[in-house]
Amino acid sequence: MLWQMAVRNLWRNWRRTLLTMSALVISVSLLILSLGVFSGMFADMLASATQQYHGHIVISKLGYQEQRQLHDTMQYDQHVIDQLQATSDVYGVSPRLRGFGLLSRDEQTEPAELLGIEPGRERQVTSLNEMIVAGVFPEETRGNWIVLGSGLADKLEVIPGDELVFVTQAADGSIGNDLLIVRGVFKSGDFNRDNSLALVSLAWLQQLLVLPEMLHEISLSINTPMEATPVAKQLAMQFPDTMEVIDWGRLLPEMQEAIASYDVSRLILVLILYAAAGLGVLNTFFMSVLERVREFGVLLAIGMKPSSIRNLVLLESLILGGLSLLVGSGSGVLLTVLLSGDGIDLSRWMTAVTYAGGTIPPRLRAELVADNLLIPCVTLLLVSLFAGYLPARRASRLRPIAALRGD
Amino acid sequence: MLSPAIKYTLFLLLLSLALPSPSPALDLPALIREVETRYQGVSSHALVTMEIETAHWKRTLRLESWSEGRDRFLARILEPAKEKGVATLKIENEVWNYLPKVDRVMKIPPSMMGGAWMGSHLTNDDLVKANRIDEDYTFELLEEDDAGWLIKALPRPDAPVVWGKLVYRINRTPLVPVQISYFDEEMIEIRQIHFDQVEQVGDRWIPMRMLVKPLEKAEQTLLLYQNIEFDLSLPQRLFSVRSLKRK
Repeated sequence: MLWQMAVRNLWRNWRRTLLTMSALVISVSLLILSLGVFSGMFADMLASATQQYHGHIVISKLGYQEQRQLHDTMQYDQHVIDQLQATSDVYGVSPRLRGFGLLSRDEQTEPAELLGIEPGRERQVTSLNEMIVAGVFPEETRGNWIVLGSGLADKLEVIPGDELVFVTQAADGSIGNDLLIVRGVFKSGDFNRDNSLALVSLAWLQQLLVLPEMLHEISLSINTPMEATPVAKQLAMQFPDTMEVIDWGRLLPEMQEAIASYDVSRLILVLILYAAAGLGVLNTFFMSVLERVREFGVLLAIGMKPSSIRNLVLLESLILGGLSLLVGSGSGVLLTVLLSGDGIDLSRWMTAVTYAGGTIPPRLRAELVADNLLIPCVTLLLVSLFAGYLPARRASRLRPIAALRGD
Repeated sequence: MLSPAIKYTLFLLLLSLALPSPSPALDLPALIREVETRYQGVSSHALVTMEIETAHWKRTLRLESWSEGRDRFLARILEPAKEKGVATLKIENEVWNYLPKVDRVMKIPPSMMGGAWMGSHLTNDDLVKANRIDEDYTFELLEEDDAGWLIKALPRPDAPVVWGKLVYRINRTPLVPVQISYFDEEMIEIRQIHFDQVEQVGDRWIPMRMLVKPLEKAEQTLLLYQNIEFDLSLPQRLFSVRSLKRK
């Protein structure tokens, strides 16, 4: 009976009800959408940061990632690679060797970081192969090819087909030097990477550095990047204590901080928006309670319990909130889905921004994340309950005589 | 005040007399210059064995080197065979490396001057800056006794140097360096170079052994001079990028 009355009461002043509802619907759906856009932006940033270089999880000798010491190597073990590849969450496995030295052509000499890779495996972990702006991304596992960052290529004044010399100190102390042929140039959008990174074949670098069958790290991509920490923990159990398995959160601490601070700002955004929406609901219900003072007086006079009156008003606000929530979250999800996928291209108005080690591409793209739906919904229900509670309490405390008199 | 020319003449006079008593007119920059150019003369030619030890490997290089004045220096690896022909040329402040395997000359960029020279614990900077120490630093006599001097060198404010302080221990007779300590900008001692096995070559005394010891790790580079000759006439074109490549 209470339920029926509540619905009728709401419908009695349907204009007001719809207006209040529409305010709630719009705030919920826009909130879901904007949180989705935030998530999309961070997903893009994370993807760029991990796909340009690190991968999601990196396995290396303990301390290698901080020191990058040439001698902190591990054996290239096909069995380990196959085993990692067969792990359920793992998508790509790329064995790598790293060397620092000088790249030179004619009068130009530049310090560079050479990453020895197997192209077929590397492209499953990073997407540098999709960022080629000149030449091609090689397919061969062997050979003296090199793919350079665009800034580095500019400084050395080379284009695909040109020759470069690389000099470094090999692991046995000898002076490692060899010729490389530029095969491609990549542009990731990350200034430091484009100015110092170059890819070469793993086999070539092993020979140059006199580190046969050796690796510095195995980089992994996984299917759910946000779950990297538990996956890394799981994988770490397969390796001895002298090795470490690091997820992107530790490789890119700035990125993790950026995402953590986003989690806080997301809550603040929700609170601000709902404080406004909540005041709207509060206002509506105070009005509707004040309007119905006489009515409540009659109800009390014919024996309705004050608690039932309170519940009635609460129920009204809950129904209002619930309906808005259904419509609002529905349209919010719909908008988010529309903006997911490739999103809206903004490259005509803005360029890529590098921030916290990642690159935000010039596009408006949303991503659907459970939290972005859950947080607005739960908060909306709480707000409408709270906004309904004060008028409901007031209604339940009316004295029948005074109420009937219309004070 | 005495003019620098007179000072220098006076200093040479002192040197030639090899006076055992302390001189009130001790010219510290000239003394340091004299010590730093011990191995150079007007020109020089030497065979050097360089033994390098690090935590991960130990290797011996045999080098042939030539120098002319303070600004020109050429060194070529004779052994091991894998690196035979690798050469370094210094002309004033610039350093080039020649790599026979790829037949290329590579100029060391300014940002990499702190890098190791031929895998040793000497840097490219050491090749270039050592010859400007008397200009880039101001000197102060810390101790003086019959054996020699202890001299502190602090960089001039605008000098393009990497060290925060140098301390020279110099032997009086014969006039040779004994030890040089290198301090970083926080005045922490980073590296020592020890000199010993002093021998007479022509009219000068030379420590034939030079030990470079970085202090932060148990590594070292030992240079052993052999067949060092001074003041010979070298073809001018020896010290050129072109001849670096030709040989």
